[in-house]
Amino acid sequence: MIVLGIESSCDETSVAILKDDKLTANLIASQDFHTNYGGVVPELSSRAHLQIINPLVKSALKKSNIELNNVDLIAATAGPGLIGALLVGLTYAKGLALTSNKSFIGVNHIEGHIFSGFLMQQKPEFPFLSLVVSGGHTLLLLVNNFTEIYKLGSTVDDAVGEAFDKVAKLLGLGYPGGPKIQNAALQGNADKIDFPVSDLKQKLNFSFSGLKTAVLRYVQSQGGVDKLSIQNKNDIAASFQVAAVKALTRNVKRALELYEVKTISVVGGVAANAYLKSEITKLAEKYKKNVVIPDLQFCGDNAAMIAFRGKSLYENGVRDTLSCKPFPSLSENHFLEI
Amino acid sequence: MSIHYSRKSNSEADTKDIAIEFSKLLNDGMVILLNGDLGAGKTFFVKRILEQFDIQNVNSPTFSIVNEYAGKKKFYHFDFYRINNSVELIDIGIEDYFNDEDAISFVEWADLFPAVLPVKKIEIKISVLDDQSRIFDFNGYD
Repeated sequence: MIVLGIESSCDETSVAILKDDKLTANLIASQDFHTNYGGVVPELSSRAHLQIINPLVKSALKKSNIELNNVDLIAATAGPGLIGALLVGLTYAKGLALTSNKSFIGVNHIEGHIFSGFLMQQKPEFPFLSLVVSGGHTLLLLVNNFTEIYKLGSTVDDAVGEAFDKVAKLLGLGYPGGPKIQNAALQGNADKIDFPVSDLKQKLNFSFSGLKTAVLRYVQSQGGVDKLSIQNKNDIAASFQVAAVKALTRNVKRALELYEVKTISVVGGVAANAYLKSEITKLAEKYKKNVVIPDLQFCGDNAAMIAFRGKSLYENGVRDTLSCKPFPSLSENHFLEI
Repeated sequence: MSIHYSRKSNSEADTKDIAIEFSKLLNDGMVILLNGDLGAGKTFFVKRILEQFDIQNVNSPTFSIVNEYAGKKKFYHFDFYRINNSVELIDIGIEDYFNDEDAISFVEWADLFPAVLPVKKIEIKISVLDDQSRIFDFNGYD
């Protein structure tokens, strides 16, 4: 079975081809378009998606040595995301499905992330605990199979990736925040400052707004960012990272005490954080669980995960018609309540 | 809109009361700007307002740029924080959102890109006094 996957929910345009279990292409515009087409790195823009999508599809087919005719299923992100950006990928995919007479499925972007571990050699085993951590999302889920997903907890304010970005910015470390904080933290003393790890009434929910503000207040108490030495900044980064990761691992631990799972899978952009990986791995060893954390290329927004999610739905009998509409937000009751 | 008033909050409970009071002034089609430093509580204030319309799942829109909610009313919740230039906003169709007569728009960090904002708007300026206390200034413009 050959699946063509298309992702355009936010900043990234991406096209992937999944042939049976083998990924033959996973092109991401910000990384591949620039070098291949001499274009500029796209900024946040529906027009950028529009300009890139067709060449990217052609390039993915060529790279995979596949004709459009051989594709069995076209899967595209239907939401959540920016409506204008979603419309480009989804409408393109539907047009392609119509003209080439292929099956079509609109994929939920978050579900794409949840199952991105299946793109790895060692795959999650059901039931598994999924921690989705990115710039826009922080979710803890219990995944029983490809169609039964329970929401255990989510952020009540900022996403964890956003906290990394904002703290990096207020320390003057630059963008993207994740790698900048991680590098600074390597040289820092994490015991230097005791930043708060917020605990909510619903024990599996997360909050990162207070942590961000605590870092801000600390920087202000030191006379502002300009008064901080490099060592000060490194210490703040390390102390912040420990608090943020503790907030995540604490809830994973709580979920492990409550639910019987085989695997812990950490997905999304923040899954690239080495300290989070090592803390999750420690926890998994203690509870004798497998850990699946996808490679970097599957952590950020990518079409490989959309192709895989499309395929898993297709194999479970799901088909969408061309009236499938984009949806900007994840509805409150999208995932099952436990 | 002849809205010109200020409120002082000394606690999250006070902020909730200020949100309840302000939510009664809201009508479809309005654009409301929220300006204030990082950590001032812009998202927190929007969260408290939308709760008055039976919307409980408000998250920060920093990464997503705009979140949409539908409860007793329809809302767009923007954040300009990670926008690089106003062309990006035009390109995601910001005018279509602002011109939606059936929805109310909130815009965090609106002062970063004043050129894309409509003439008719309400500005909420949140000033931090200390860890707990905030001043909320409400000003309507026609």
